[in-house]
Amino acid sequence: MAVKRTVMLADCQSFYASVEKSQNPDYAGKPIVVAGDPERRSGIVLAACPLAKAKGVTTAERVGEAVAKCPELIVVRPRMAEYIRVSLQISDIYRSYTDLVEPYSIDEQFIDVTGSLHLFGGNVETMARHMQQQVLSETGIYCRFGIAENKILAKTACDNFAKKNASGLYVLEKERLAESLWKLPISKLFMAGNRMTYHFHAMGIETIGDLAATPLDRLKQLMRRKFGKNSDINAELYWRIASGVDDSPVTPGTHESPPQSIGHQMTLPRDYGTLEEIKVVVLELTELVCQRCRSKGFMGQVIAVGCQGADFDRPTGFFRQFKMADPTNVTNHVYREAVRLLERHWDGNPVRKVGVTLGQFSNSEQYQLSLFDDRERFMALERATDALKEKYGDTVIMRAVSMTHAGQARDRSGKIGGHYK
Amino acid sequence: MSKKLQGNGLWESSRMMLPEHKLELINSAKELKRRAPVELDEHEWEQIERLMTESYQLRQPIELRMYHPYEETKVIGTVDRIDSYRGRFMVDGEWFEIKQIEGAESEGGDAE
Repeated sequence: MAVKRTVMLADCQSFYASVEKSQNPDYAGKPIVVAGDPERRSGIVLAACPLAKAKGVTTAERVGEAVAKCPELIVVRPRMAEYIRVSLQISDIYRSYTDLVEPYSIDEQFIDVTGSLHLFGGNVETMARHMQQQVLSETGIYCRFGIAENKILAKTACDNFAKKNASGLYVLEKERLAESLWKLPISKLFMAGNRMTYHFHAMGIETIGDLAATPLDRLKQLMRRKFGKNSDINAELYWRIASGVDDSPVTPGTHESPPQSIGHQMTLPRDYGTLEEIKVVVLELTELVCQRCRSKGFMGQVIAVGCQGADFDRPTGFFRQFKMADPTNVTNHVYREAVRLLERHWDGNPVRKVGVTLGQFSNSEQYQLSLFDDRERFMALERATDALKEKYGDTVIMRAVSMTHAGQARDRSGKIGGHYK
Repeated sequence: MSKKLQGNGLWESSRMMLPEHKLELINSAKELKRRAPVELDEHEWEQIERLMTESYQLRQPIELRMYHPYEETKVIGTVDRIDSYRGRFMVDGEWFEIKQIEGAESEGGDAE
């Protein structure tokens, strides 16, 4: 039998806000939030420091509401590039304890310390305290550590227990789940959102323990009744999460594997109501997607376009895909099909969010020659524009429509993940 | 469809990674693999010189290990020209820098 592993999930407290606080002594002892630009609709709280949270400020609320709760609140613009830099710095620190470090998001990383635990006398809490202390002194960020024998339990330990612990550490033992995890309400289950919680309640499942105690076959039956035949996999997934069963390895190289598809989406600053306006954004997104495919040497055959309406509670919009005759990464060719999808499926309702995805890749070094289009000319053109953008930035050469009112390319080029660089 | 239940599927399907973050991670992973050039002593250089001269004069194939920061690279073929003034040599019509050589083996498997 394999050795029992020791896996940690380390999470940074109020990451963006903590980075700002640690780098600006003026903010010490004051409540701060990092928030998107109030002039655009992204004016929401991205991260609030513990002092701001104590005043009732929550993540994802509007800046106006936050300031109303806490008038002395300092509102800071995000600096995404800096947060990425600090996140990598923290990865490097963890990597000095073990080479098995897998970033899960900008502020969470899985760390498998099975092989180096003996350096700390086999005491995982001593080791975690060391790591916590080192990250704090080198970056000013306070991290919490969920510790267990696999990834799902480590994640669960961090989210439900370590974050609430004075020490920021929690060891979740699989043998003792009945006294810890299984007592929690089903809404605390990893991957269970509002909708799923509602369905679990309808099935008579109130706690995570109830779910773990439901035989898998019975759960599959219950879920099939709600979601149809294809829900077996999700049934098993939820059952494994509740039972703490997870054999997935901590995989440092996981981000290097080639993507299945490349997509970009964008939340618009206002509702777009005309086809002309939406087409501008679709073209800009298509350009970005194709540019990334070209830089990675992919051609895609399946194009997908999605639009979402403004009211997320009353969802409108569509997400449709189409398989093109030949794989391509030429912007104009992909755009032609994207517009066709848009024209066919858009119902005329105002649109707030637009996404374009290209998938089913093949290698762009070898492709079938096509007799009836001017692909070679476009490819030469795009090689030139890509090289320009690579050297001077994305805004050095743009399509004319990007200069219209609907264009977002200029704004987007100054951002990472929709927030200021 | 059952990818979520295999390997690292659960975490690959649920994670939130900014593309810019991913790119930096890949770059830093690459930097971890970076290595410094091997420093050769006089004796080793003599060996390499001898094997290269043999390859040039006797038209024998040779295998030269070359320095590359991230990858293992080799030049395999017959030395066509040696330009010691400009510090380069030619194999099969292509020029390479002499100072990037880290080791040599002749066709027969002679050690460096």
